[in-house]
Amino acid sequence: MGKYLVKRAIMMAVTLFMIALLTFSLMHIVPGGPFTSDKQVSQAVLDAMTKKYNLDDPLWKQFFDYIGGVLRFDFGPSYKYQGKTVNDFIVNGMPYTATLGMVTLVFVLLISIPMGIVAALKNGRWQDMVLMTVATFGVTIPSFVIATGLMYIFSYKLGWLPTYGVDSWKGYILPMIAMGGYSISFLARLMRSSLLEVMGQDYIRTARAKGISEFRVVWKHALRNALIPVITVLGPTIANLLTGSFVIEKIFAIPGIGGYFVNSVTQRDYTTIMGMTIFYAAILIAMIFIVDLFYCLIDPRIKYE
Amino acid sequence: MKKFLSLVLAVSMLLTLCSFASADAVQEITYSLYSEPDGIDPSITNNSFASAVLANCFEGLMTYDIETGALICGEAADYTVSDDGTVYTFTLREGLKWSDGTTHDANDYVYTVKRILTPETAAKYVSLATDYIAGAAEYYAGETTDFDTVGIKAPDANTVVITLKAPAPYFPAILAMWTFAPVQQATVEANGDRWTASADTYVSNGPFHMAEINMGESFVLVKNDNYYAADSVKLEKVTLRFITDNGTALMAYESGEIDGMNTVPASDYARLKANDPGFVVSPSYGTTYWEFNCSKAPFDNVLVRKAFNLAIDRTALIEDVLQTDAEPAFSFIAPGYVVDGEDFVDAIGDFDLSDEADVEAAQACLAEAGYPNGEGFPEVTLYYYSSDTVKLVAEALAEMLSSNLNISVKIDVADWAVYYDDIVNLNYELGAMGWSGDYLHPMTYLPLLKTGDPNNNVGYSNPEYDALVEQAASMTDAKAAMEVMREADTLASSDYPFLNLYYKSNTTMMNPKVQSFLIDPTGILYLRTAFVAE
Repeated sequence: MGKYLVKRAIMMAVTLFMIALLTFSLMHIVPGGPFTSDKQVSQAVLDAMTKKYNLDDPLWKQFFDYIGGVLRFDFGPSYKYQGKTVNDFIVNGMPYTATLGMVTLVFVLLISIPMGIVAALKNGRWQDMVLMTVATFGVTIPSFVIATGLMYIFSYKLGWLPTYGVDSWKGYILPMIAMGGYSISFLARLMRSSLLEVMGQDYIRTARAKGISEFRVVWKHALRNALIPVITVLGPTIANLLTGSFVIEKIFAIPGIGGYFVNSVTQRDYTTIMGMTIFYAAILIAMIFIVDLFYCLIDPRIKYE
Repeated sequence: MKKFLSLVLAVSMLLTLCSFASADAVQEITYSLYSEPDGIDPSITNNSFASAVLANCFEGLMTYDIETGALICGEAADYTVSDDGTVYTFTLREGLKWSDGTTHDANDYVYTVKRILTPETAAKYVSLATDYIAGAAEYYAGETTDFDTVGIKAPDANTVVITLKAPAPYFPAILAMWTFAPVQQATVEANGDRWTASADTYVSNGPFHMAEINMGESFVLVKNDNYYAADSVKLEKVTLRFITDNGTALMAYESGEIDGMNTVPASDYARLKANDPGFVVSPSYGTTYWEFNCSKAPFDNVLVRKAFNLAIDRTALIEDVLQTDAEPAFSFIAPGYVVDGEDFVDAIGDFDLSDEADVEAAQACLAEAGYPNGEGFPEVTLYYYSSDTVKLVAEALAEMLSSNLNISVKIDVADWAVYYDDIVNLNYELGAMGWSGDYLHPMTYLPLLKTGDPNNNVGYSNPEYDALVEQAASMTDAKAAMEVMREADTLASSDYPFLNLYYKSNTTMMNPKVQSFLIDPTGILYLRTAFVAE
């Protein structure tokens, strides 16, 4: 196990490095630079800014300087937002994004897993039909449509919930539903099909033949195996929710990191693109790693050597 | 040419009937900004979203009257101009203070200009100093390290003397821009770049000061008790909240969660205009146009450019496509600059153009250029940057041009960074663009067509025009200068370097209870005397 962990750690570091290198290359290949704005500034100003941010160094040097900074947890200054650093974006934005992500995750799990289980156990009956119809809507309707619809009804028409911001707990409700909609539907469908498959296997028949209660058959024998595919996609899902949704943050004006991440690309804010990508990738890789470890707990047949 | 909606210098939403705040209403407002500004350092930024912070937290030597929109003294009590028009002597008001309570004097103005002229500051509007102040360009270029050679001095704590390279009668208007608002040396030097990052170090001198900076979320301004006219400041708290989704902002406005917003979604324009008393249209000193690449065929031919200008229906574009309030434009300089009651555009002709398309004349022009009935005319690409509004315009233009001129038109789009690079490098044929004046004077427009100007992206060059612009820039007599500038405009506009569409207007939503504020023609919101009525 120890050897496995070391191997994984090295692989993760290499992956992150490759992602950094790829991002760096891509962002320098696309045309445009960080100092393009709607009012053209003189060459002298451009030169001054280029010098200020060491953009006149050779690219390889810029890259390794940046990686050096990342190793010290310094993602560099933003080129676009004067006096702000990429760390500022993460430190200020992440609490909002992560809180919304956690709340949404809990909400998603509480709804989707039972939904999937009920649908599977009532396979083919009306409960299944209703739940899966709802789930189909959840997968197909984009989150911004759900968000706007919810906002129109609950904020504008009824006035129960705030239109924007997360100044109170009430502010989390609509974004949570809008953001979780897709994951709920997706996980519920996955849970359903996975449980259906497991329920049809021989060992379940054996368990039933032993005469144990249906509840124990499902809870003790079927569910653990049926959860494996769910847990596999849970890693990226958690990473996704934790790093937020640009669209949801924009619609509900939540001061998270999503907006900075997306805008940095159109603004060619090099350090922010790099910093946010590495940050996002690190979370994603860490989540996948944790999920892999969880397999051992769920399924004793899986062992890492 | 039609008169521009009885244009006043600025619209002031003033109800002087009750010019004092009602005691009962809570003097707090929330105003939504469409975007988070990229910086709030007045010496550095050129971002228009910063203006609501800068215009209300800072005040320079000059500012604008809330009621009339006229240029008036700000921190200066008075000023005099030398006979040759190059030396401005400003006398400051007594007892000026920073928001932290420390005294502030003429030396702060000198420091501010010095900071702007230091290349490391990377001040985006540095050209406003280098173009006008004597010795500034040389200092900025590093030709001298002696700041005494620069034409700004503080002979005593109450006097600022600014010496210009050449007379520029509109210089006081430039001083009203936030770039020339004083910054406190102590806080800037102690905190470097970071002085604008926290409310504690964001020391200012205007009617309000910063109470909270919530990154990605809002700025909270509160009344500055150390402001010289603090008695006339009625709002206690102003929250500038970034809501980057127009639909959300509008719902928040209509449900009363916010008091105002600085953009109005195009799809709701007609409804709000008809039904909402908070709908405010104010003239803007800006023009929307498309640029011809005059350096390349086919648009190096003035007749082709003229044909294109004749072939578009500006009224249809404004009323049917955009469904907005705007005045058709035939020249690139917007109305708004007035001398002796006469607007700059009053004596500007229509250059044979009209509000609607003149298909016959357009085709005649194109035939004269060698393309009878559009035959042999190469396919033209209309190039624009990703924006919903501009997309509508591009599609409408493509339709008008192809059907009226019988030519084939293609549309191409890119995101702004790529797009602007192409525009600057003249790598386009016909591109969407526009201009919003930085200050209320035609001189903010004229360099757009001057040879070698960094903002000249159309490849237009006319020595006669350049000479007229230079001549006008240094004329001390405003009336005479206006004539020369009109001559320059007429000269250039007869060459049709732009496909001028319409003059912009600012639309704002503001709760009718909020009164006595000013939105100036550059779109800046001044809340110095604003209050919430009962």
